[in-house]
Amino acid sequence: MNAYRDQYAQLFKNGKNVVLIAISADVDTALASWARDAEYPFLFASDTGSAVGKAYGAFHPQYKVDNRNLFVVGPDGKIAYRATPFREIDPTAYTELSAAIGKLVPADSTAR
Amino acid sequence: MLATLLLALVQQPAAAPAPPPPPALDVGAVAPDFALPGATRFGTLKNPVRLSDYKGKTVVLAFFFKARTRG
Repeated sequence: MNAYRDQYAQLFKNGKNVVLIAISADVDTALASWARDAEYPFLFASDTGSAVGKAYGAFHPQYKVDNRNLFVVGPDGKIAYRATPFREIDPTAYTELSAAIGKLVPADSTAR
Repeated sequence: MLATLLLALVQQPAAAPAPPPPPALDVGAVAPDFALPGATRFGTLKNPVRLSDYKGKTVVLAFFFKARTRG
């Protein structure tokens, strides 16, 4: 999560026309306190029943948590890119994600 | 020894009962809508977070294991 925070401007265009939602089975208060302590500038969603994790195929039945799967949903509501799992220590994972977002969000849109 | 090895290979599937994780959604699939309690660094949100609220925008959904863990 720290990498998303530290690269928020480059990767997620500071949230302009890109919405990052981090999802886990934690309760919302645990997510809020972590976000406050670590100063995460993005949104969290609390999927305590793991229904959304299951719907997206991110839920791991053995460990009862979500795998680090990442989906980019385009403006049309369809999945435009996926990283299953997102390899957070691999620099190419960020290059690929940035390219996928760049295809959907024109570079000049940050000026709007 | 070979027989033991072969027996071990044959028995392996039965010894691994862990269910496979469900397949992840494919590129091109319609992203299922959801409504979940939301949180930011300023606290928990009054209204649920809905994917459909962001239609027309690009949304990155990043699933992760657990709060206060790496990654």
